[in-house]
Amino acid sequence: MTETRQDGSAGGTSPATYLASVGTALPGEAVDNNTLAKTLGVNAEWIEVFIGTKTRHFARDLATGTVRWSLADLCAEAAGKALAAPGVDPQDIEFIVLGTATPDTLMPATVNHVADQLGLDQVPTFQLQSGCAGAVQALSVARSMIASGEYRTGLVIGGDVCSKHLDLQRDLTGAAPGDLVNFVLFGDGAGAAVLTDEPRGQRVALREVLNRFTGLGREPGQVIEWFGLADRHEDRQALREDYKAIEESVPVMAVEILWELLGELDWQAEDLDYLLPPQLSGRMTRLITEQLDVPTAREVSCVAETGNNGNALPFLQIEKLLEQMTDGQKALAVAIESSKWIKAGFALEKTS
Amino acid sequence: MGAPAGRLAVVGIDCRFPGAPDTGGFWDLLMRSGDGVSHVPQQRWDAGSFHSATGAEGRSNTTEGGFISDADAFDNEFFTVSPREAAAMDPQQRLLLQSAWRSVEDAGYPPHGLSGSSTGVFVGIMSNEWAQLHLTDYPRVTAHVGSGNGYCMTANRISYHLDLKGPSLAVDTACSSSLVATHLAANALLAGECDQAVVGGVNIALTPALSIFYTQAGLSAPDGRCKPFSSEADGIGRGEGVGTVVLRRLEDAVADGQRVYAVIRGTAVNQDGRSNGLTAPNRWAQQDVLAAAYRRAGVEPSEVTFTEGHGTGTALGDMMEVRALGHHHAGRSGKPMALGSVKGNLGHTEGAAGIAGLIKVALALHHRTVPASRFAARENGGLRLREHGLRLLKAPLRLPSGPTVAGLSSFGMGGTNAHAVLESAPAPAPAAARPAGPPAAVGTGAGAPLFTLTAPTPEALRRNLSAQADAVSARRVPFGPLCWTSNTVKSGHRHRFAVAAADTGELAGLLRSAAEGEDVLQRSTGTTSEQRIAFLFTGQGSQYPGMTAGLYRDSPLYRRFLDEADEALRAHTGTSVRELILGGDESVHRTEVTQPALFAVGWALGRTLTELGAKPDLLLGHSVGEFAAAVLAGALTLEGAARLIAARGRLMQELPAGGGMLAVRAGRESLAARVADEPEVSMAVVNGPSATVLAGDITALEQIEKELGSEDVTTRWLKVSHAFHSPLMEPMLDQFAEVAREVGGGVPQLPVYSTVHGRLLAGEAMDADYWTAHVRSPVLYADAAAALIEDAPTHMVEVGPQPVLTSLARRLGPPPSGARPSVALPVKGEESGGRDLAEALAVLYRDGLDVEWEALYAAEERVRQRIAPYEFSKEHRYWAANPVTPVTAAPAAVAAGGTTAAGSEPEEEHSGAPAPAPAVSGDGVADAVLAVLGQVGGYEPAELAPHLRLYEDLGFDSVMVMELKGRIEEHVTGGSELEMQELLLRLSSVGDLIGYLRRHPATRSSQEKKA
Repeated sequence: MTETRQDGSAGGTSPATYLASVGTALPGEAVDNNTLAKTLGVNAEWIEVFIGTKTRHFARDLATGTVRWSLADLCAEAAGKALAAPGVDPQDIEFIVLGTATPDTLMPATVNHVADQLGLDQVPTFQLQSGCAGAVQALSVARSMIASGEYRTGLVIGGDVCSKHLDLQRDLTGAAPGDLVNFVLFGDGAGAAVLTDEPRGQRVALREVLNRFTGLGREPGQVIEWFGLADRHEDRQALREDYKAIEESVPVMAVEILWELLGELDWQAEDLDYLLPPQLSGRMTRLITEQLDVPTAREVSCVAETGNNGNALPFLQIEKLLEQMTDGQKALAVAIESSKWIKAGFALEKTS
Repeated sequence: MGAPAGRLAVVGIDCRFPGAPDTGGFWDLLMRSGDGVSHVPQQRWDAGSFHSATGAEGRSNTTEGGFISDADAFDNEFFTVSPREAAAMDPQQRLLLQSAWRSVEDAGYPPHGLSGSSTGVFVGIMSNEWAQLHLTDYPRVTAHVGSGNGYCMTANRISYHLDLKGPSLAVDTACSSSLVATHLAANALLAGECDQAVVGGVNIALTPALSIFYTQAGLSAPDGRCKPFSSEADGIGRGEGVGTVVLRRLEDAVADGQRVYAVIRGTAVNQDGRSNGLTAPNRWAQQDVLAAAYRRAGVEPSEVTFTEGHGTGTALGDMMEVRALGHHHAGRSGKPMALGSVKGNLGHTEGAAGIAGLIKVALALHHRTVPASRFAARENGGLRLREHGLRLLKAPLRLPSGPTVAGLSSFGMGGTNAHAVLESAPAPAPAAARPAGPPAAVGTGAGAPLFTLTAPTPEALRRNLSAQADAVSARRVPFGPLCWTSNTVKSGHRHRFAVAAADTGELAGLLRSAAEGEDVLQRSTGTTSEQRIAFLFTGQGSQYPGMTAGLYRDSPLYRRFLDEADEALRAHTGTSVRELILGGDESVHRTEVTQPALFAVGWALGRTLTELGAKPDLLLGHSVGEFAAAVLAGALTLEGAARLIAARGRLMQELPAGGGMLAVRAGRESLAARVADEPEVSMAVVNGPSATVLAGDITALEQIEKELGSEDVTTRWLKVSHAFHSPLMEPMLDQFAEVAREVGGGVPQLPVYSTVHGRLLAGEAMDADYWTAHVRSPVLYADAAAALIEDAPTHMVEVGPQPVLTSLARRLGPPPSGARPSVALPVKGEESGGRDLAEALAVLYRDGLDVEWEALYAAEERVRQRIAPYEFSKEHRYWAANPVTPVTAAPAAVAAGGTTAAGSEPEEEHSGAPAPAPAVSGDGVADAVLAVLGQVGGYEPAELAPHLRLYEDLGFDSVMVMELKGRIEEHVTGGSELEMQELLLRLSSVGDLIGYLRRHPATRSSQEKKA
């Protein structure tokens, strides 16, 4: 049975969206805190206590600095897994949307290399340039495309290769915490999902997606620069974060996203079986989950093991979620991009 | 387009609340769900000595509250209030006065412009603590102490300083005061008692009295925070604030094109009467006041999308409010009504609570987003909101386009309840529906806008330039409307700043450099004084192809006048002089074209300036330039002058060629003999003491040139077709005189300094005889200009296609007395356009010209734009000299000093001053911990007091904490390792850390070993 969803504005109905499968990719072996601490010359206990992340994966070889996987490689690997899942036929893919903040090149957009690797051709491709909200934005675009009735099946991907900014030459002894965080917070990875207009495969309905800019008049909480021929020698920090602003604002925004989604769906907090909180770092995610205060819902997090790998995170969480989710269960995910303060989130319900 | 009657528009807003220094900051705080509550500042009272966690008698159970910043600062100089009087004024009076000024500006009024108007002032206030502190100090009650206190004065001061003639009153209904004030203002406006109303609310906590009262009444939240409708709600936290709004009847605001934040559709006020108790909230009365407001607003309860509740966060108060709302909303279909309260962010701002809510609702409707209600995530399930048709605002609510209706409640402790129903502002009328713009014939606009700012002192100007620079660079706004608003709103003070700019980006840079650099500030600033403006019209020689084409392109106003001149000339020239000029035609150098063309440009430019408000007091025209001067002086009509100048040009053109003009660097005296000897040559122009032009037969002039050359006198041939002002002109005189007689000419109505006579015309007509003599006589510019300068113009404006005369005039030397006149050049040369005209106007404006701003802008630019309000000085601070302590015996005194130091430091004679923080007792553990903290943080142990917080006060970060842990293990716990998570919990303050380590077993054993 194909459900339809109410389209509030038009008063009509449009096709509902389902998640049929998911796939993820993490490059190489997990790098633990001791290894990272040794490589960077920082205190392993400090990472453990103040970041709360235990392991992460890097596309770049930590010893030699050699790039072993491109973003396209990771995305294609994750997408390949999603396409190979039961109930999914790669032939059905009618569009691809990729969200990332760290494309391999500005042109061609990485999504096209992914399509190439997957052997997909003659389909519309989109790449959304976005940080932690990119995966959700990709879901939002895919949902709208399916709701339009013009497309039935699409591939949604999120991934980031943060190790592009992992400068192994830097001497970090005496670095301030704000500086150090950038070296120990992040990881690399990718995730993908196949969305359909009917329950197939995992048969998980995508009930609601929130994607909203809320940064009017606010300084960015996170900036990633890019350099061209004219300015590549400028002494600008490639990565900057305002951790104070992030620590202050993200928990508040997370609570608002949770309640806004619940309000839109007319779900009660007690209805939630799972909660997918924002994956900033092991420690921050713990703090935010406390604030979200939905004790009846089981937390599904991955950042302590994967590091913050940006747009891969929601797919890694969904993958963990699907291992546990049973028919009729509900899950709600919250994501925040602190760059220009973007609220994002989505709600899933496993149909029978 | 009419607006419905009976409604009121909120057109101006200003406020300061805890954690929010201004309106923008307030909105930001709300959208961030920010917390404005913090520790009681030492300036108010020593919170520690009044604190009792159990709420003992005379004590408060909290040391927290919502306090505004800079409550003691007051720009008394701006309001010309003496420091002595300022020090005696209740800060609530001072804050309201400044806020009123700012909200009036925000409404788009120049505050001085409301002088004498029917504007009412309505203030809600319930705190009288300043009076309690100062009116009991009987020996020190002065006249100023008297007028510095009392509710009425808060409103009356605003009326006095802004010279407002409408009703002016303060109202105290406890916590509903400022919404009741709004209600009274609304009624006064609708009854026609006033045409504008400034509505304000203010609350400053000077003593802990109300905190103690709330504690003793069991109403005080231990953390000092109101948690409206939350399961964590445990009472009231006090908050401060000042807010003002400007209200008008909606139809007036719409007709005036004023910006409207929101509309008040209806308000109602009632009383509990003899209810359960004087101070208990009453559900039935609240229900009734809601019904009355809905009825008056003409809305069904189900139309209300959201309500800003009173929401103090007391168990009983929240429940009564929900039930009263539920009576109207329980039966709603569709979504429950959204509910929230600003008290979660600010605390209960008491007398200012109503205005805080009103401003929040107005901003929410304006921004089309209702902020989330702080603490809403943990909803009080016992309230059963859903059953009452309500839902808490746990996330910001985006409002759909189209009208939205909102409610606002404010309930007073004594039982006076108020409710208001608001609505989003009507959509601005589309351009087509506005009254039809003026036809092209009355085009306005100089082609470039001027941004202006005025202030009472240079320092105030600089401060406000900086504030404007911040505002202009923060957000893009339509540039013309911004400038137009600055011209009107930011007027009235003596020190005037003006700059022309191309866009907001350039303007922001100019404002910033003027605020920061002395040179730029001086260049773009003046002070107002009496002006005498001289117009100097250039003559032949200043023309060039395409002259003023840039101005014609940029400025509809100039276009209008050049077209008019062209029209007048065309009957006599047969062709369009305008087309020849603008087309860049070289024929502009043929005298039959040059003369009408210069006349057209001079007259059009003169009229443009006049229309912009720059009216000449003195006039001078160099030869051909005198025709335009004569028209502006009323001696000739435009048509007459056009006919005359066309004939003059044509007749001269028809004269046989062969004459020439020779400029000589020598005085007329030294040349007089030579000219007298040569009948074919005459003295044609006297431009200066050593700048003379001879004209006549070329052969004769060549002879003179040779002779002068041998005497080392510099000469230069002018590029002319004929020998003007020479005997060679005589053949045309009869024919010209005939035309001139037909045209006639009168006595100029303004002083004209004639270059025919070389002096001021003394009641002489500029008639046929004058103009005929004008052809043949020498141009005595040097004499005319000297006479003009002697009559002390403050400004000389060069009216022509390029500056010539002002620089010639400068070479005549300084005036016999007084300063040299300033020079304004509306057209500087071939590249000139609207911007040069605007800059010339800026020169005049800075020194006091009343510019006709309407003419400076095209109709579509004359749109009001919000502009950052006046930034008051915080240099002077005034506060009660007495620290409020539990043992207060001595009556309070007023600090009369006007400076920070004198105003805020407690006087020594008071014994109740809090003792300095007790030193840490010098046991081994404490000493060791202080030493370690000092090493890691770079402090001397003496600088470290127990109350200092590691992160906030001492600037520790997580890396320093790691180091601290290592050192503690080394020096305090005798090498035994501490549990990191455990330690982290103990790091709040120095005292906590010491206490924790004292109790730690590892420390004990380590200490024992040492002992």
